[in-house]
Amino acid sequence: MTRRVVLVDDHHLFRSGVRAELGDAVDVVGEAGSVEEAVPLIKELDPDVVLLDVHLPDGSGDAIINAVAPARPGVRFLALSVSDAAEDVIGVIRAGARGYVTKTISGDELAAAIERVAEGDAVFSPRLAGFVLDAFRSGERVGGDAELDELTPREREVLQLIARGYLYKEIAGRLSLSVKTVESHVSNVLRKLQLSTRHELTRWATEHRLA
Amino acid sequence: MPLSRFRRDPDAGVLAGVCAGIARTLGVDPTLVRLIFALLALAGGAGILLYLALWAYDVRRSPWVVGALGVVAVSLVLRSLGFSDRVVLGIALVVGGLVLVWRGGGFRAHDATGSILGTAFAAAGAILVLSRGGVHAAALTPGAIAGSLLLVGGPWLWRLAQDRDVERTARIRTEERADLAARVHDSVLQTLALIQLHADDPRKTAAYARRQERELRSWLYGDRDLAEESLATLLAGAAADVEELHGVRVELASAGDAAADEPVRALVLAAREAMTNAAKHSGAAEIDVYAEATEERVAVFVRDRGAGFDPDAVPAERRGIAESIVRRMERAGGEATVTSTPGGGTEVELSVPRSAP
Repeated sequence: MTRRVVLVDDHHLFRSGVRAELGDAVDVVGEAGSVEEAVPLIKELDPDVVLLDVHLPDGSGDAIINAVAPARPGVRFLALSVSDAAEDVIGVIRAGARGYVTKTISGDELAAAIERVAEGDAVFSPRLAGFVLDAFRSGERVGGDAELDELTPREREVLQLIARGYLYKEIAGRLSLSVKTVESHVSNVLRKLQLSTRHELTRWATEHRLA
Repeated sequence: MPLSRFRRDPDAGVLAGVCAGIARTLGVDPTLVRLIFALLALAGGAGILLYLALWAYDVRRSPWVVGALGVVAVSLVLRSLGFSDRVVLGIALVVGGLVLVWRGGGFRAHDATGSILGTAFAAAGAILVLSRGGVHAAALTPGAIAGSLLLVGGPWLWRLAQDRDVERTARIRTEERADLAARVHDSVLQTLALIQLHADDPRKTAAYARRQERELRSWLYGDRDLAEESLATLLAGAAADVEELHGVRVELASAGDAAADEPVRALVLAAREAMTNAAKHSGAAEIDVYAEATEERVAVFVRDRGAGFDPDAVPAERRGIAESIVRRMERAGGEATVTSTPGGGTEVELSVPRSAP
């Protein structure tokens, strides 16, 4: 099934570039260049996936998610960014985006990421995986929910391989798991990233930048 | 009373709805307001004047009308309380003058006429009140003068401070703009020119674009002190060099950072060699590099998705490079593992134990 996608980015040139890269892999049903344009458009079109720039002229991506998600719970968001500050990326993920990829991603990889997000799985770039590993480092936990504030050894392994540039299929091969299991590990990590109150998440984001 | 919120309420009113409007604005019983106005009307007609003032204000929302009529109304009240005409006129002049100064924004305002006029009024009023003579007034004089000075000078000083802030902000903004222009000119425009010159060489143009991107990014988002060397900064530098020299993309991810001691420097040099190797021989357009600093060790993974090779049948040339990486790591007290399959790409894992802090 061809996924219906809405592109939100304030650079027209970039949107047409992404459109061309994606080709027939997905059906780009709409484009918007600002929060103001995007919110009614997404509500009207009700697409499978919204490709979302984290920084827009009139706000950040999480503003769109917050405005759309209650009315259109089926719409999934994938942050597509040219390395912005970490607090923005983490903000958009904690607002509910199902992943984050950098704008230099190839068309094929982007199409695969859109498919994955449309199915409810999570997509991490190597850089984001590195960040999550850093933020969830063991032994620095203070209070909170242990289940949400710690990564399991397996999740850690999966994230390490993502950071090293491995694809899900390759990770599954290396760890003798099915691709589905790898996907569910990543989805679990996403859930922890969204729900954890771990203070490293905010502290790290302000100290470092995901440049 | 918040004057800007006041509206007459003609429907609920007896006359023009002024009292009803005040009652609604303040949330009190209109009868109470009417009673006060009636009492004030007995005080030399002040209530009537005040009523007219508020009515006029509602028709033409000018604070001057209500101010002027208000001053007259207060004067009438004071008169009816037994103050002499002289004192009443003096107080009216002081109050009116101060209102003029405050509204005018002080002497630094673009049009200081109002302030000068107001100060003159206030001074005249003060003289009128105080020159009544007697010990009583003389005792009051220093305090009155100090108070007047503060009231008159206050808005002026405040305005002065505000203007200075505005000027400072403007200056900072101008400097920032100049800095931005210089950077855009020095680097971005130059790069665009280079790209146009080498439009027929995709590798070169990609490398130029990539270098520019990195520069701009470190300027926009960079918060690391580049003078302070660490695993992350050294590795970023090495990745940048390899990208520029060989026209490949290096995707750098990291978790944790480590101080740039000798083993870490050796690690970065070995990683650089591994990246160069991948760029030159694998044919892959992108190299993934992941650096990880844990309590036990510092590790760097260099991975490409290129041609790969059979470790058992390595061409002499590649063996040489691999061996030099391995030897370098051994000398630094660490280790290197090269994993490769033909067609499946290559990954070099480099690590050194974390030295005691």
